[in-house]
Amino acid sequence: MTARESILSRVAAAQRTARLPARPVAEPMAAATRSRSHCLERFGQELAALGVGCHVETTAEAVRERVRCLVEGQRVLSWDAEHLPYEAGAVLTAASRGSSPRAEQAAAEVGVTGCDGAIAETGTLALLSGRGRSRAVSLLPPVHVAIVRPEDLCFSMGEFFARHGARMSQEPSCTFVTGPSRTADIELTLTLGVHGPGRVVVVIGPEPA
Amino acid sequence: MSAVPPFVERVRSALGDERLHVALGRATEALRSRRASAFASLEDSDRVRDLARKAKLEVLADLASQLQRFEERLVANGVEVHWAETGEEANRLVLEIARRHGVKRIVKSKSMATEETHLNHALERAGMDVVETDLGEYIVQLNQDRPSHIILPIIHLTREDVGAVMHRRIQVPLSDDPRTLAGFARAKLREEFLRADMGITGANFGVVETGTICLVTNEGNGRMVTTLPRVHVAVMGIEKLVPTLEDLDLFLRLLARSATGQKITTYTTLLRGPRRPGDECGPEAMHVILLDNGRSRLLAGDDAEILGCIRCGACLNACPIYKSIGGHAYGDTYPGPVGAIVTPGLRGLHGWSELPAASTLCGACRDVCPVRLDIPRMLLGLRRETVRTEKTPLGLRLGLKAFGWIAPRPKLYRAAAAAARRLVRARAREGWVRRLPGLGGGWTQARDLRAPAATTFQEQWTHRQQTARATGSTPGASAGGAGGAGVRRQQAHKPEAASGAGLTPAERAGGPGGAAQHPPARRR
Repeated sequence: MTARESILSRVAAAQRTARLPARPVAEPMAAATRSRSHCLERFGQELAALGVGCHVETTAEAVRERVRCLVEGQRVLSWDAEHLPYEAGAVLTAASRGSSPRAEQAAAEVGVTGCDGAIAETGTLALLSGRGRSRAVSLLPPVHVAIVRPEDLCFSMGEFFARHGARMSQEPSCTFVTGPSRTADIELTLTLGVHGPGRVVVVIGPEPA
Repeated sequence: MSAVPPFVERVRSALGDERLHVALGRATEALRSRRASAFASLEDSDRVRDLARKAKLEVLADLASQLQRFEERLVANGVEVHWAETGEEANRLVLEIARRHGVKRIVKSKSMATEETHLNHALERAGMDVVETDLGEYIVQLNQDRPSHIILPIIHLTREDVGAVMHRRIQVPLSDDPRTLAGFARAKLREEFLRADMGITGANFGVVETGTICLVTNEGNGRMVTTLPRVHVAVMGIEKLVPTLEDLDLFLRLLARSATGQKITTYTTLLRGPRRPGDECGPEAMHVILLDNGRSRLLAGDDAEILGCIRCGACLNACPIYKSIGGHAYGDTYPGPVGAIVTPGLRGLHGWSELPAASTLCGACRDVCPVRLDIPRMLLGLRRETVRTEKTPLGLRLGLKAFGWIAPRPKLYRAAAAAARRLVRARAREGWVRRLPGLGGGWTQARDLRAPAATTFQEQWTHRQQTARATGSTPGASAGGAGGAGVRRQQAHKPEAASGAGLTPAERAGGPGGAAQHPPARRR
C-alpha cells in the first residue's frame, strides 16, 4: 500500500470515530461592499495608517508626471508598459523588466507596478502574476510604486475574490501586499524593509472618462 | 530527537531564568493588547469566528474526500503531490525532490511542519546547504537553538543576545539595535535568495476548491522563497485545508488579528502552480507534500477538534503557564496550551503526559482562540487518560487516598487544616513563607507562599455575625455602619487575610483580565 492509500484509509476510518463537536450555527456573510467614494476614503486612511505614501492625481498626465518624479535618477524595474495604466510606461523607457537578467533586476532601486485590485478595508494591493507582470518587481527593489485605478477598488477581500475568481484561477499566483515589509522578531521592535520593499507608494489616477 | 531533559527539569530551569520572564512578560502582554484592539476593528467578529470554526469542522468531518479533491486540483494546476506518513518520510521526499532537480542550495521560509519533522537536520546530513530566511528562524538556526513561540521564534532572546549570535556566526559588527541587526540579515539573506536552487515553505491554508496554497508572511521571505528559486516544495499537514476562497477570507481576517494584531499580514500569497511558458519568474516545478505524522490518529480520538488550530499563537500569549515557563519547557515543536494537546496527540501520551497537567484550566486560551477550540476540555480529557494509562507516583496516590479519607469528615478535616495552617504560619517571615518542607516543597520552589490568615474565613464570618448581633447591625451593612462591624471588616481586609477566597479559579490563576499575570515572584 502506498503512503497515499494508507493515509487516506486511516483518515477515512478516523472520520467515522472522530468525536468532533457540534458545528456552530451561523449564517454565511455576504462579501462587504461599499460605494466607490467610501472605498477611496477608506483606502486612503488605511494606507496612511500603514505608512504608505498616497498621491491622488486627476489626469493621466499628472499620474505619469508623479511616477516620473518618484523614480527620477534611480534604477527602475517595472512591469511591461502594456500592463501599466495611464500609459505610465512612457516615462519608464529605460527601466529593466521582468525579462531582464536577474542581477540587473536585483540592483534596481525602485519597482513600478499596476495592480489588479485594491482592497479598501485593509489598504491592500492585489497583484496577479503573469507575463509582463513579474512578481519580482514588487519584491526585489527597496521601494515599490503601485499605480491604482479607482475602478480597481474593492471594499473587502471577499469582494475581490468574487470579482476576480475566474482570473485568479488562470494565473499561477496572486499576491496581496499590505504596506511595507516588516518584522518584529527582535524584542517586538518594528523594523521595515527586512526582505521586501521598506517603502511603498501608491499613485491613484482618475476615473475613466 | 535527542534526549530531552525531564519536564520538571525543563520547568525548573525556565523558572530560574529571570531574563526569560522579563522578555516573555513584555512580549506576551504587548501581543495580547494588540490582539484585543485588532478584534475591536473586526465587524461581526463572533460570526466570523463561528463561521471559521464551522468551516474547519466541516473539512475535518469529510477530510478524506477533501484531500482527494485538493490533490486533483493541484495536479490539474501542474503541481506534483506527495504523501508522507511520518516526518522521516517527508524529509526523505524533500531530499529526493532536491536530488532529482540537481539542487544544492535551499532557502526556507518559516514552517511549523518542517520544524516538526526536523527537516533542516535531515537536509544538512545529506550535504545540502539550507538556510532559514525568516529573521527569527535565521537567528534560531545561527544559534543552533529551537524556536520558543509559534509566531515569534526568538521571543526568549534579547536584542543583545541576537547581536552576539550574529557577530559570532556571520562576523558582522556587534550591535544591539534591532534595525541594524535586521539590516545585516537582509543583506546576507538577499545573496542566499538570489542563488538558491530550491525554496521550501509550509502552508498556512490549502484551498480545496481551487487547489491553492496560501502563505502569510510579514517580511517577504515567503515571497522570495516561492518566486526566485527554480523549485518550490511546500510541506503541509493534512489538516490545513479550507473548502473555498470565501472560507479563506474568513481565516485571513482572523489569523493576523490573533497572531500579531494586524488586520492582515503584509504579504498574503496564493500559489496555484509552477510558472507557465513565457512567465518571467516563479518556480519551474512545484511540489506539495501532504504530511500525516500522527494527524490521522488525532482525528480518530476525542481531541480531533485540535486539528482545527490555525497556529496563530494567541493561546500562548494568553496562558499564565506559557508566560512563566516559555516555549522550550514544553519540550517539542508546539508550545503553550495548543502544544499541550498537539504534542501528546502526535507523539503519544507516554512521555508527554505532564504537558496537559501544566495548565490552570483558566480558559483564557479558549476565550482568545479564533476558532474557539475548547482547549480546557481537551486538557482535562488528556489528564483523565493519563490517570487511566500512566502509572501515578506512589506519593501522589497515597496523598490523594488520605485526602479522600479526610475530606468527608468535617471535624477531622478542620483539625488537619488548622494544624497545617499553624505549621505553615510558624515558617512565615513578614507574612511570607520561603520554603515548605516535604511534599509542599514544589509549591515554593520558584515562588513564595503568602502565609495563611490566623483565622479562617468561616471563623471570621461567625465572629462577625456574633458581633453584629450583639450591636444590632447586619453583617453585610455598608462601611461606616455600626462601629463593631466596621472594625471587624477592616480587620478582615488586612493584607494577611487576602488568601484568594471568593475568587473564581480563573481569577486565582491570573486568567483573562486578571491582574495577577505572574505567579508571585520570589521575594528577595
